Amino acid sequence: MKELFKKGLIGLGAVLGLSSCGGSDAGIGSNDPFCQQVIPAVETFMAEAREAHPIPDEPRYGGTVVLGTIGDMPDGLNSAVSSNYTDAQHQQFVGLMTLINYDAGGEPRAYLAEDWEVAPDGRAVTFHIRQDVRWHDGEQTDAHDVAFTYEAVTDPLTAFPNAAFWDHYVKGPDGVEVVDDFTIRILLEPHADFMDPFRTLGILPEHLLGDVPRDQLKLHPYGTQCPVGNGPFVFAQHVPQDRWVFEANPAFPEALGGRPFLDRYVYRVIPEQTTLLTELLIENIDVYIAPRPDQAQQIIDNQNLELLNFSGRSYVFVGWNARKPQLADPRVRRAITIGTNRAEIVEAILQGYGQVANTGVPPFHWAYDPGSMPSLAYDPDGARALLEEAGWQDRDGDGVRESEDGTRLSLSIKYNTGNQQRQDIAEIMQQQLSAVGVEVQPQVVEWGTLLQQINTPDLRDFDGVVMGWVVEFKLDDIDLFHSERINQPYAWSGTDNGDIDRLLEELSITADRTEAMALWREYQELLIEEQPYTYFYFPDRLEGVNRRVKGVEMDARGEWLNIKDWYLDPASR
Amino acid sequence: MTRYIIRRLLSAIPLVLGIATIVFFAVNLAPGDPTLYFLSPGMTQDVIEQMRINFGLDQPVHVRYLRWLGAMLTGDFGHSISHSRPVLEVLVDFLPNTLILSACALFVAFLFGIIIGTIQAVRQYSIMDSAMSVVLLFFYSMPSFWLALMLILTLSLFARNVWDLPIWFPASGIVSVDYDFLTFGEKVRDRVMHLVLPTLSLALVLTAGIARYMRGSMLEVIRQDYVRTAKAKGLSEAVVVFKHALRNALIPVITLVGLYIPVLFSGTIFIETIFAWPGMGRTIYDAIFIRDYPLVMAGTFFFASMVVVANLIADVLYAVIDPRIRYE
Amino acid sequence: MSDGFLVARRRWRVVSAALPGLPQLLTGRWGTGWTVLLTWLGCLWVLTARYERVIGALGGAWDQSLALVTLVVSLIVAWTWSWRDVSGSDRPLGIGVSQWDLAARAFSKNHTAVAGLIVIIALYLVALLTPLLAPYDPAFQGNLITERYVGLSTVHPLGTDNYARDVLSRLLYGARISLAIGFVAVSISVTIGTLLGAVAGFMGGIVDGLIMRFVDIVISFPRLVLLITIIGLFGSSIFMIVAVLGLTLWPGTARIVRGEVLSLREREFIQAATVLGYSKRRIILRHLIPNALGPVIVAATLGIGNTIVLEAGLSFLGLGVQPPTPSWGTMVAVGRDDLLGAWWLSTFPGLAIVFTVLAFNLVGDGLRDALDPRLRT
Repeated sequence: MKELFKKGLIGLGAVLGLSSCGGSDAGIGSNDPFCQQVIPAVETFMAEAREAHPIPDEPRYGGTVVLGTIGDMPDGLNSAVSSNYTDAQHQQFVGLMTLINYDAGGEPRAYLAEDWEVAPDGRAVTFHIRQDVRWHDGEQTDAHDVAFTYEAVTDPLTAFPNAAFWDHYVKGPDGVEVVDDFTIRILLEPHADFMDPFRTLGILPEHLLGDVPRDQLKLHPYGTQCPVGNGPFVFAQHVPQDRWVFEANPAFPEALGGRPFLDRYVYRVIPEQTTLLTELLIENIDVYIAPRPDQAQQIIDNQNLELLNFSGRSYVFVGWNARKPQLADPRVRRAITIGTNRAEIVEAILQGYGQVANTGVPPFHWAYDPGSMPSLAYDPDGARALLEEAGWQDRDGDGVRESEDGTRLSLSIKYNTGNQQRQDIAEIMQQQLSAVGVEVQPQVVEWGTLLQQINTPDLRDFDGVVMGWVVEFKLDDIDLFHSERINQPYAWSGTDNGDIDRLLEELSITADRTEAMALWREYQELLIEEQPYTYFYFPDRLEGVNRRVKGVEMDARGEWLNIKDWYLDPASR
Repeated sequence: MTRYIIRRLLSAIPLVLGIATIVFFAVNLAPGDPTLYFLSPGMTQDVIEQMRINFGLDQPVHVRYLRWLGAMLTGDFGHSISHSRPVLEVLVDFLPNTLILSACALFVAFLFGIIIGTIQAVRQYSIMDSAMSVVLLFFYSMPSFWLALMLILTLSLFARNVWDLPIWFPASGIVSVDYDFLTFGEKVRDRVMHLVLPTLSLALVLTAGIARYMRGSMLEVIRQDYVRTAKAKGLSEAVVVFKHALRNALIPVITLVGLYIPVLFSGTIFIETIFAWPGMGRTIYDAIFIRDYPLVMAGTFFFASMVVVANLIADVLYAVIDPRIRYE
Repeated sequence: MSDGFLVARRRWRVVSAALPGLPQLLTGRWGTGWTVLLTWLGCLWVLTARYERVIGALGGAWDQSLALVTLVVSLIVAWTWSWRDVSGSDRPLGIGVSQWDLAARAFSKNHTAVAGLIVIIALYLVALLTPLLAPYDPAFQGNLITERYVGLSTVHPLGTDNYARDVLSRLLYGARISLAIGFVAVSISVTIGTLLGAVAGFMGGIVDGLIMRFVDIVISFPRLVLLITIIGLFGSSIFMIVAVLGLTLWPGTARIVRGEVLSLREREFIQAATVLGYSKRRIILRHLIPNALGPVIVAATLGIGNTIVLEAGLSFLGLGVQPPTPSWGTMVAVGRDDLLGAWWLSTFPGLAIVFTVLAFNLVGDGLRDALDPRLRT
């Protein structure tokens, strides 16, 4: 027995020993030639930069902040191929730089571009690039990098996921003109919010990626294995499904605030939310990104923690398939909306952390003005009246309405596996709508299968689907509701309304906000009339933050917005 | 002996291929494909087609199957779609973590199981015997994810925040964030601390079966003549049990290793998710839903191969320990 | 027979008529005593406390009718069994005692196993009687603002959940789903496994080789991965779950049966049957399978427990029985999100799973000991 025990211990020790050696090297299990070449260059330049820019003698400098989220970043810093929110945040605020960013009021301000001019006819923007920005391997960031990035994301071979961004820009090499090393001109058609894409698009290094075939960009090791950026933080390590480690960039331009206060910033992946909350409560992580509303109370009750909340950029809705006979009539869709107590749902599901939505214009947007809109408040009697008017009556006394030809007003509402809030919506709708004679069957479908069922133009196998959109500051519903896109994947409702088409077209090219405001109002009134979606709510974004982390600002622009200004309470270190 | 091992290995080939084939068709015939995950508004059908070609999904299923099979035989497992890198590299990243966790769990489970089973056999029909059975079965009867959450709540959250215990365990990850700056001793401690909860969650479920088996096997051995002789010689019970009986009673228990490895791998899917352990179980699970075909295929293939190998090792061990068994 | 004995018996009869089970309990047979007594009292309680629903169940939905039948049958069975038990004479031991009688005797000596059996009987009774027992409709949502996450109270003994539904009612209805899933899935697997195992063992040769290679494939595969792949990708309706659980469990049974059959095949009575020219079909169905059943019953009992746990695991991954149908697994999995805020949501269904599976395992272990002559003492 003893012998066995001893052998076992040795075995266990061998396992641990082996792994502790394995775990301590760079963490990138990559022997990819690209990374092998890039990593030493970054290390050399960073060593020099640390020499050249000693840490200022100030107590706010130093320390590590650990942030926990439920998912890894699928494409990392590769801004040419990523569509993920967290990826985008790290491209904008952590590892890369964007030409401009927004101030708290949503107005463009200088970042990588220190200045810009818009041509009087609105057909070109000229950016003047900062001259003091270096890539983390020491190369200068200049106009060629911007030109390369622009060409890459507008090239169809790259398959840039947010192609709609570039609808009104001249695509490819024709759309971009390098005036000199630090001046670049981009050609476009005049339209609303034309600066918005430059806020989201992280500029990529041409000297590293310029030769990569565009259709290989998605699979290139740059994004997740050895990204080289120019932002305030330098990539140090990525252990897939576990962590990303970033270190302060000592060479970050003084004019933009210089080196971040933090020495290191660690992004951890913890897929189970109960574990995440526990780690926050036992102070193993400092920031818990997006806890669920029902976890908020635990965070509030803990004196070491603070709950931040702000109006996010997403909304949740039920998309109706108006191709179905039960849903073809807008009155039916409107009856369903007012037959659902959405205010109660916001209170119940979000614990009040959110606002009822009537259209897709979110609270952070300048056109948000719910007071001026027709009401869609809970009104079961009104819903019944609308259904009667549309010819749906309970003809056989089973509690569910039928049409003249005997079609039952029975709808399946689909939602994806593992999303509690969407399941909640479907289940509560089932209860509430049964009171007005509409039968709802919640149906859960695995995500990939669901996407196929709703996105395939000649399939559209659903009545209603609970979904959410994350919107950019530049709102554009053309893909959702314009009748020309009715055979494209996202035309879920399949509604065809000429007035909506006209307004969507006008909105996309109206640059003047007062003029646009009237159009937005008209458009939203039409949405309320037409009800291609039953809009549910704009959830607040919640964040659990340990009080030892100071200077944290978060709003609709994102959680990582000012991460370079975060610092640790000197007393807590 | 060598010939036996070779024969066993050869007979395992169709087995592993069969498993791979089943999985290939299950995954490939399911609705949906990986491009759906990269879809967003504004993407035209052309872009989707282009992606499909980039991923090599434009071929019919049987062609892809043959191609996959051919490539795999030459050691090429393809490119993971969700990780944007060769599948083999992904496996190299995740497999060791799963193996460490499984090995520790297996070791702890067998250690507990053998000790408890022996005690139960020696004290057959005592209160302790049935009490131990019930307690072990209690853990065995818990859904493992629930057990894991309970361990997190008690040994990590309450231990630190409510009961103020001097020791509490981290609830997630393999190492602390400051691991690279620790001394060697601290590193080992850090790793062990992170291993405790996931290992316990996996091991407690297995212990019941091992203890039960050990008890039966020990009972049989204790009743045999040589043990009686040893007792009659006046040797103390401890000496008899540990020196004479244990060795022989262990033989059948060892075969359980092969049986438990698939169970263990299944368990890792839950445990790795809850404890944020970057291992193979979680990776395969995610890959299934992203339709990352190459990764799913390679992952299950490796799981299955390891089970086969584990069975083989169990058989060989059996032969080594038990002199009565000789293979041609 | 002495007068005294008759008087005693008459007295027991009187006791038994009022409280069946009490005589057995008082004479030291606590296992059977408790079962009968609790069944009797429980059913009487349902009859009186829920008499409106009992009346309403007449001509109600099928599950209500089933509950009513269960109620009446349980009352009759409990009463007559106790009556006949105290009236009849003890059967003599020794001559004419079958293998099964011996096993039953061995089993009844195993206290933990008997306790497990009582729990299982109680569970199935409760599951069948649920429409009469449950205080609320399991899908009924109360006021979402004021009645959500209400802790334990007299109105809601086990609290309410995130939709203000009564947890106790959902737990009771969940018992039906979870036990049914376990039972049906195991039935499927036992049927397939027994048949294939017997055929493989009896036929030998190529048939045996093919079946057993297939068994090897399924067994050496992490079952959960297979389940996730199939259920995850092809949908998680309750039929799918039961079918897939059943269809992936049988190889174990097949292996056991094959082993038994291989040893039985060499025994005289099978050889006699072969010599007599009985058809293979008849030999397999009438002679081999009944004699190989012991280990199968054990495996099945343990299998039901495993299946219930596995269903919970699938629920954790979002692949279990879909809402609003309550299953214990789904309740634990969904409730785990609120473990810190509303602990009752996952704790009670979790405990229900633990005790149910524990009971099945205790019975399974007891049966194994009882059916294996070598372990009998």
